[in-house]
Amino acid sequence: MKRRSIMKPIPTDLITEVFSRLPAKSVARFRTLSKQWALKLRSPDFTELFLRRSSNRPRFLFAVERSGEWLFFSSPQPQNPSSSPVVAVDYHTKFSGDVSRYICSYDSGLIYFPDMWIPNVASPVICNPISGMYVSLPDLERYRKARGFLGFDPIEKQFKVLSEAYVFCSLRDHHQILTLGSGELSWRSNTIQCTDYDRSLSEGICINGVVYYLAATCRESSCVIVSFDVRSEEFKFIDADCFSEHFDESRGRPNSNLEGVSNVLEMFIATVRMDRPTNTIKLNLVNYKGKLGAIDWKFPNNADGKRTLELRLWVLEDVEKQEWLKNIYTLPENEVLESCDFSVAGVTASGDIVLAMKHICNPFYVFYFNPERNTLQSVEIQGFGANLEAPENRGTVYAFVDHVEDLSVYDAKQLKSSVSNVKHICSCCNKEAHPTFQYEKAKTTETQETEETVGKLKTEEEEDKEKE
Amino acid sequence: MSSNMIMLKSSDGASFEIEEAAARKSKIIANMIEVECVDEDKAIPLQNVTGNILALVIEYCNKHIVDDDDDVATEEASEEEEEAKKKKVDDWEAEFMNSMSLETMFELLLAANYLNIKSLIDLVCQTIANNIKDKTPEEVRKIFSIENDFTPEEEEEIRKENAWAFG
Repeated sequence: MKRRSIMKPIPTDLITEVFSRLPAKSVARFRTLSKQWALKLRSPDFTELFLRRSSNRPRFLFAVERSGEWLFFSSPQPQNPSSSPVVAVDYHTKFSGDVSRYICSYDSGLIYFPDMWIPNVASPVICNPISGMYVSLPDLERYRKARGFLGFDPIEKQFKVLSEAYVFCSLRDHHQILTLGSGELSWRSNTIQCTDYDRSLSEGICINGVVYYLAATCRESSCVIVSFDVRSEEFKFIDADCFSEHFDESRGRPNSNLEGVSNVLEMFIATVRMDRPTNTIKLNLVNYKGKLGAIDWKFPNNADGKRTLELRLWVLEDVEKQEWLKNIYTLPENEVLESCDFSVAGVTASGDIVLAMKHICNPFYVFYFNPERNTLQSVEIQGFGANLEAPENRGTVYAFVDHVEDLSVYDAKQLKSSVSNVKHICSCCNKEAHPTFQYEKAKTTETQETEETVGKLKTEEEEDKEKE
Repeated sequence: MSSNMIMLKSSDGASFEIEEAAARKSKIIANMIEVECVDEDKAIPLQNVTGNILALVIEYCNKHIVDDDDDVATEEASEEEEEAKKKKVDDWEAEFMNSMSLETMFELLLAANYLNIKSLIDLVCQTIANNIKDKTPEEVRKIFSIENDFTPEEEEEIRKENAWAFG
């Protein structure tokens, strides 16, 4: 009765079950199987099923920045670090030409760069770090290190960018908004009413369709959380006096590199030279189980000379009452964590605070701290490649938790260009001078170096294109 | 836990004895037990499942005899114990699926689907997905007996639309 040589045919609904558990990249590839599958794998039903499945296996997203170049990796995000102490990353894409360095805004699978040179004109860019698809947005004439915040409205299923204006000009319209859509993209500023504030102080985080960021008010030594509702485009201020000590720190010494700089002009020049956001304080906004949270840390001086890490977590318990709940945690000892630079990657759905090493090295770790159980566990992340791990060109890591693949973000008709084509164009028009000499010069040397060093990571298709 | 044993009979006539609690992992068998159409001394015939596959299904059910149905009972267990238990099950599942041929996986999937054992469907689907995720469309067509009904122009077009996935 049993036919051993031929596979039993599997009904379509079971094949669909299998395909819904694939990575988005495989799904896109299998749309070319047949007409039926081309339709099926694009259908709203399948997109919904796929999102449900991928939500069950969230991933870490690693954006690695090195000399204006961003490399994107993702890895499984173990729910239980003790059962998977080692995971491997997949390499996805590379974006070159970011001159706003150290700034990017991530939400719901897409990334916004305020100032990216692709193919050879500076403009703000929204990209999908996994597929390499992107869209260049109309240029905004503004200070290039101005922050931008990407937000997703889960009801209208729409991405919007909120861009801030010049940092050093007092007379400015604060914001411009752009909606990512299939029509012509443009920035709007006329409809927006926002009480005045001085400048943003942190990166933003989008939780359930609301973007939050910390800002300095125009009053002396005081700060607020600005909340921006992505759908209604309404601004609100949330009391954040509990962070004013951070604000003082940032005023007193905006950055250790700027110590000894006396007058404002010098500070301006020094800041620009440093090529990084001017107003950043060491406070990370996180999504704490659906609520806005903020985390910072310090190493208090212990009497016995031991270096223990202290995390402070504020949670906005009640938005209406503007009630913050503060907790201080002393972490269990961990030699690796205490001796490296790290950043806060976020908080997982189960409440683990995830810290990630700030620079690629071998071995590279992320750390899970569970406040309820007071446990600290590490997961080794492998596969960034020897070149990124090398001390002379090690990359800076921006880690994000709970990256969930959503096919609707891949099928976004708005992201029409592909970064693999950009490489193609660039290799063809090497002789064409870019508008900014200085940048072009820097880029040429960089390109040569990275062609060699990152060669291993290049996809075959890209190599084929280069040969042509 | 009751230690009632019931009999299952495969399509090729092999009989298996299984604890009722394990057999209840199958929603179909659980239903049969509910409506009392199971004779104490008569085996339940499973016409769509061969003996070698039924043996795998039973192995799986025996291993998972105490989980989802016993959530209430285990809630009190400490989280460490819980984690250790989960890791043990994960390890067992990995070992169970490891080195299983694609053909066997397909038959196991069909059996799990027929018997309606949700967690086994999940496990097998995910394992097959991991297995085929890096394969070419041509290979996948062969595996699932899918006919390529595109004209070369149409195929070129749809490949272009999804070009990033071929990198």
